[in-house]
Amino acid sequence: MKNLRILVVLPLYGGSLPIGRYAASALKSLGHMVEVFEAPDFNGAYESLKNLRVTGDRLDYLQNSFLNVVSQSVLAKVETFEPDLVLAMAQAPLNHQALKRLRRDGVTTAMWFVEDHRLFTYWKSFAPFYDIFAVIQKEPFISELGKIGQPNALYLPLAALPEFHRPMSLTPVEQRKFGSEVSFMGAGYPNRRAAFRELVNHDFKLWGTEWEGDHVLEPLVQMRGARVTPEECVKIFNATRINLNLHSSVQARELVTHGDFVNPRTFELAACGAFQLVDRRTLLDEAFADGELATFDSMEELLEKIDYFLEKQEECAEIANKGRERVLKDHTYQTRMAALLDFTAERIEGWPSQGNDESLFGADYPPELEGELRQLLGRLSLPEDVSFKDLVWSLRQQEGALTDLDTAILFLDEWQKLYAKRS
Amino acid sequence: MKHYLVIQLARFGDLIQTKRLLATLCARADARVHLCVDRSLAPLAGLVYPDVTLHPVTAHGTGLSGLQAIRAMLVDNREAFARLREIDFSRVYNLNYSGLNYRLAALFDPEKVDGHAWNNGQELITQWPSMAMRWSDQRKISINLVDFWGGYCPDMIAPEAVNPPAEGKGGGIGVVLAGRESRRSLPTDILARIMAATAQKSRAERVVLLGGASEFAAGQSVLKLLPAGIQARTRNLAGKTDWTDLVDTVGSLDMLLTPDTGTMHLAAHLGTPVHAFFLSSAWCFETGPYGAGHTVYQAVTPCLPCLETRPCDYGVTCLKAFADPSFIRFMATHKAEHMPEGMIAFESRFDALGQTYAPVAGTDPDADQRAKFRRFVLSHLTGMESGVSDLDTLFAQRIYRERDWIARTTSRRTALF
Repeated sequence: MKNLRILVVLPLYGGSLPIGRYAASALKSLGHMVEVFEAPDFNGAYESLKNLRVTGDRLDYLQNSFLNVVSQSVLAKVETFEPDLVLAMAQAPLNHQALKRLRRDGVTTAMWFVEDHRLFTYWKSFAPFYDIFAVIQKEPFISELGKIGQPNALYLPLAALPEFHRPMSLTPVEQRKFGSEVSFMGAGYPNRRAAFRELVNHDFKLWGTEWEGDHVLEPLVQMRGARVTPEECVKIFNATRINLNLHSSVQARELVTHGDFVNPRTFELAACGAFQLVDRRTLLDEAFADGELATFDSMEELLEKIDYFLEKQEECAEIANKGRERVLKDHTYQTRMAALLDFTAERIEGWPSQGNDESLFGADYPPELEGELRQLLGRLSLPEDVSFKDLVWSLRQQEGALTDLDTAILFLDEWQKLYAKRS
Repeated sequence: MKHYLVIQLARFGDLIQTKRLLATLCARADARVHLCVDRSLAPLAGLVYPDVTLHPVTAHGTGLSGLQAIRAMLVDNREAFARLREIDFSRVYNLNYSGLNYRLAALFDPEKVDGHAWNNGQELITQWPSMAMRWSDQRKISINLVDFWGGYCPDMIAPEAVNPPAEGKGGGIGVVLAGRESRRSLPTDILARIMAATAQKSRAERVVLLGGASEFAAGQSVLKLLPAGIQARTRNLAGKTDWTDLVDTVGSLDMLLTPDTGTMHLAAHLGTPVHAFFLSSAWCFETGPYGAGHTVYQAVTPCLPCLETRPCDYGVTCLKAFADPSFIRFMATHKAEHMPEGMIAFESRFDALGQTYAPVAGTDPDADQRAKFRRFVLSHLTGMESGVSDLDTLFAQRIYRERDWIARTTSRRTALF
């Protein structure tokens, strides 16, 4: 597939935000020209509306108006960047009007819905407006999407970004700060709160948010329950002997729910070469084979396996290594994005359009500039067969005052738009 | 020493009309002024602005093949960009609303760019030019382009100091055959009649026809239409003058007859009296000749000023006044009663803001509103107390935007603390 221009639209906030960034990074590493719509930059203003102390209908009007401005900003970016694909992450700020406009203008759109469709039901309103709808669950979700007018649903599980989720040497200070025999990193959902009360006798650390109000667990919560950055997560994974990975549930009757989708932590831990104990999911077996992960089906089994694996360091390392190999082979964001693009090409007729973007070195550029142009491509991490259009956009993404060569290329592009195409 | 850069990538006339801004910068203490222009205009810029350091770049699209353009942009322009980048400019005035100007601004810290700037890939326009865009639908009361560009500097020199007062130089009459926009120029038969009348009245011994090579044929047509006596004294120089010849010729004339052209602005720069024909999209309050001692014959049909990019649905009715025999009579007598319908004769004047025009024949119904608008603009630029007119709130609502009030970054000009 040719190098594509892809606009990744991030959500204002939430769980799909880091995944959107990983997807953008993976698309770049696949050689595509990626532009990111930084919706989180708008979130502070959006949240501030909630502090107005006005009537509910007025707040509703203001929030809708604000989100309309954000949607229009995405459309403006599409008009300027002219992407082959708009990849929106779950909760991306594209309203119905904007999606209709993109469809009318022939812009191909994809949504990666990295949410549980049973809990997050807004997909019923938005799914038909996307050309491609990638999800992390299978049936009955995919059939339901078909019924409401979305024929192009793709099962696209979560993944890891090996450049980021990787084994890491920690300093003694970091090891002390982030390390423990057992830990959990994530939000304090009801099933986790109930489950982890049984672990208080271990060297156990709890990381993440929403753990407040539980006097049993509170002493175990690290960094006073502050949000943990993705970089800190990787350090915690690397520093912990047994990383617990209990999928979330909003109820506490069943602590191990045997749900379907596999959470991102599963892939991220494995990619770090970190040992994890993960609750069994219905879609886990097709992602990992026996020996690539250690799983549990019940609280009893979890407690037994913690005791067992604390004594079996070598076995832990062997499982973790196999898990890492499997992720590197099959479960990277690069493989996911490649699958998404292949699926899009298969389902959307004539996509991607075969534009006449001329390769930079195909053109008759002054030979004395070739060395400098190659250096420029290196500086911008662009392939040598990059098109002139993509080079121009890449220059436009740079910050601060530009060099004389950068400016000359931008100037040439604009001159060609003004004069060459006219003639 | 402080370095100032003006980027003016537009045409001949625009280059000359940048004079008040450039002269203001040159008048500052310890200033070195730089001008970035299209390469084709660099020789002219050198003649008009001898104290300014030129930085020619290829910006216009004339006559370049794709291959030549690539070399011009990536080798020649790049060298010019490298030289510009080496200079620590205190301020960059980037004047034209064009993608080329925005890209060129990428060389500089956006904080130092006034006009059309580039910040991390985003095109930005500063307040003064964006205000001008908003009054572009109020053209009848608009201000002169020379003053608009001068307005980038609150310390702009007095309008009287921009160009010398116009006076005849003894070298006869010059006639500019056409401007870039054909609808703004007079047809050859009308032009020939006006020329003949003017030449007879002034008893000019020498008449020269001026223009580019593409106007040579029009010049020959005009020649054929002239009375024999005048024809014998007339030379068609269209396409035969380089910039130096043009400056020498225009600078030697007693008078220049012209539509709204670059040569007209050159004449004003040189202090040669201009008699200008303004019709169609040409509106003297925007682009009239700058200085004292010039005359403008401005068509004033209800459809004016129109947009040159839109076709005329009225059969170019604004030409009728120039074709009216009484116009020739008016030129001979200067009596108001001979002025045809649909035209005002203006003479150039100054006010505190800059160039304006006072009617000597015909009625200017917009004069009062224009005067109030000019006071409003002057007050904005300089903070000068000029009272508040009954129209100030209306102007403020049209020309300012809510965001100017709400979200404007405080500029050095308005900062109190």
